[in-house]
Amino acid sequence: MTMKTEETVLSLQGITKAYGSVHALTDATFELRAGEVMALLGENGAGKSTMVKVLSGLVQPDSGTIQIAGEQRELRSSADAQAAGIAVVQQEYSAVPALTVAENLALGDRTRSWWWSRRTLHAGAREVLDRVGLDHVGPDRVVATLSVAETQLLELARILLRDARILILDEPTAALSDREIARILAVMRDLAVEGRSIVYVTHRLDEVFRLADRATILKDGRSRPPVPVADLTHDSIVSLMLGRRLASMFPDRTPVDDAAQPRVEVRGLRAVGLTAPVDLAIRPGEIVGLTGQLGSGASSLVRALAGTLPVAEGEVLLDGVPVDLRGRSRGIRQRIAYCSDDRKKDGMFPGLPVLANLSSPWLAAVSRGSWIDRRREKEKAADIARAFSFDTRRLTTEIDTLSGGNQQKIVLGRWAGAEPRLFLIEEPTRGVDVGARAEIYTKLRMLADQGASIVVCSSDSTEILGLCDTVLSFYRGRVTRQAAHSDWNEESLMAATLHEGRERAA
Amino acid sequence: MSDVDFAPPAQSTPPAAEPARRSLGSRIVSVGPLPAALLLLVLVGTATTSGFATVDNIRAILTAASITGIVAVCMTFLTLSGNFVSLGVQQNTVLAAILFLSLTAAGAPLVLAVGGPLVVLVVIAVVQGVVVARGMNTVITTLAVGAILFGAMSSVTGGQVITTGGRSVGVLGQSLLFGVPVVVYGLVVVTAVAWLIATRTSLGRRCLLLGASRPTAVLSGVSITRTTVFAFVVLAVGATIAGVLTAAQLGQATANDLSTLTIDVVAAVLVGGTAMAGGSGSPVRSAAGALLIALLNNLMVLNGFTTGWRLAVQGALVVVVVLAVQRFSRAAR
Repeated sequence: MTMKTEETVLSLQGITKAYGSVHALTDATFELRAGEVMALLGENGAGKSTMVKVLSGLVQPDSGTIQIAGEQRELRSSADAQAAGIAVVQQEYSAVPALTVAENLALGDRTRSWWWSRRTLHAGAREVLDRVGLDHVGPDRVVATLSVAETQLLELARILLRDARILILDEPTAALSDREIARILAVMRDLAVEGRSIVYVTHRLDEVFRLADRATILKDGRSRPPVPVADLTHDSIVSLMLGRRLASMFPDRTPVDDAAQPRVEVRGLRAVGLTAPVDLAIRPGEIVGLTGQLGSGASSLVRALAGTLPVAEGEVLLDGVPVDLRGRSRGIRQRIAYCSDDRKKDGMFPGLPVLANLSSPWLAAVSRGSWIDRRREKEKAADIARAFSFDTRRLTTEIDTLSGGNQQKIVLGRWAGAEPRLFLIEEPTRGVDVGARAEIYTKLRMLADQGASIVVCSSDSTEILGLCDTVLSFYRGRVTRQAAHSDWNEESLMAATLHEGRERAA
Repeated sequence: MSDVDFAPPAQSTPPAAEPARRSLGSRIVSVGPLPAALLLLVLVGTATTSGFATVDNIRAILTAASITGIVAVCMTFLTLSGNFVSLGVQQNTVLAAILFLSLTAAGAPLVLAVGGPLVVLVVIAVVQGVVVARGMNTVITTLAVGAILFGAMSSVTGGQVITTGGRSVGVLGQSLLFGVPVVVYGLVVVTAVAWLIATRTSLGRRCLLLGASRPTAVLSGVSITRTTVFAFVVLAVGATIAGVLTAAQLGQATANDLSTLTIDVVAAVLVGGTAMAGGSGSPVRSAAGALLIALLNNLMVLNGFTTGWRLAVQGALVVVVVLAVQRFSRAAR
């Protein structure tokens, strides 16, 4: 694809790193040639993030050597990494919202003198902004006014200014639209053609095929030798990541009993973000998918049902009884469970063990009065852990130390213990690797088969089509189409969420 | 095609659960820096200070640790639940003492003399809890309530010393029971009960959950109001016990008594290692923290430190311990 010399610019040998008893990397190897794009792939918890941290000087390996341009180096800090010509775009945006674009570009640049003026700050900013496709953004714009995608592009611009030879991008496209992704990929290609080397960490396999020359796949902290992407297929990457062939991501559907009394009846419900009243009936054992773009109203419906968004009008019946939708506590008492799309913010208790996280919603069920029966708490937590294929020996570890996939299993699993009649979930597999994803789908289907009604709100069309029985599409605050999963396909789903040319039809 | 091996890799053994190498600092923290510090102070005291390792002095240390400890143990729930600390501890405790003495002087039976201040302090706690749960800052609220209580007490008592009027307060008035100061029994019982509440009841667990993550707690059905009120009520119970015991021991009280109680209690909780932001800690640690502060103060008194220097050293200790706990608990991760 690109002009490549066989010159190795970066080489890691025998890298081992352990956090307590958890081995994040074991004797891992990594190499990078000049002018190539190397995809770094693996499940969550496979060691990708640790590898990136080692490369960026944020983490010191317990053993192993790092060679840059044939010279042995120690990366003890991010300043060391920068001096060695390595620059990192992080998953989390490191831009300072209160500063301007030009000021952010200057941040952390050690080649700059400490004395600066607006003119020296702006010098070079224009050119680099144009290169990453931020031609409409002035250097004086305050970063807080930029969109997520623009902020991400700004990160890229910052790296360009560093004139780094090795760029590391850690899931740069996670929050971006297709058009913005295309822009990032194009910039990446240009940089590779210039002879820079790029390490590209992602969950999105199609980007690997569009961009990367070779791929290094990590599994359980061990590395495989780099493979040319031309020799790989979608399936072979997944099987290398998982170590087994993924038979099917989604569990078989159990036919929903059409004659059954609806578990949930939503009648003329309106709330903030829902411009037209919603009517919906959900039967026990049914998984309903809601999908739409940001602000389409799909998420508003879920939050109104959860009791975290005030209801303007309409009513909801649960097993024929009107539901009190004022507040989460009331919802929980009526056995309505809710998981938001942001597990770090309000899905888990950081610093507390997995056990306390799991038991938090159903503590009363294992208590006599206020007295916790600790044996029953442990037994029930262990049952859930086993059901969600989580190692019961790790119940006492702090939840923060788990991988994203395992965290999500705990966050969802803790509600399974509350035996929900209605389970509301936003983005059930965000930031979760392929393996854990399949497990989560299986568990959700299992919960439905046990009689729960499940509502999944997701922006992942594969998930919506593969998991759900019934699918509702939303556009600008109203339902555009409601149909059984068999009546949908990728194209019709896309059309319904974008509402292409059907403004009048509905 | 290159010679890529698509066969599943050999089943790798799960990561061995061997203990990670840990720094000396994190080892000390895992034993608990507190027992180490307590032991160190006792050894230093015994070796350098005459009159330290005597029965009378040990009783004095335990007595001093008990009043602070009872309140600190009970304040742990407030700190655990992410509500920082109360700065009105001294005023609440003295209010309990004055009410107890006045009721006793008026001829009330012991049950009423103790129950009266308890009800008053619990009512004040409920009000503070509701206000704080609504979003008011704990420090400001408790400081304001403390000022109101102090002002009211000063006006009503007119700066007079309140006494029992010569009436007996029974067993509470004895200084020793089986050779151990009465207040020490108070601390032991309060600590044991608080430990049970913290580890074995859903009320204690909810304090921990609220402190670990407020948004998650809310979505998990934990009531901020009920949990915060509960934490304030536990503190009120502790302040009542401490106030009654102090008053019964001394037989008198003024609005200005226990002037360093608030700072001592806050220091005990923090030195004990309960996280200022909540979500981690234990009432038992606060009791040990109170013992440490009492030991240190006692050593300084015996060695002729003035009140000013004692406070300065105590303040420095809080800073050093909090920094050390943060540093080493991060290293232990």
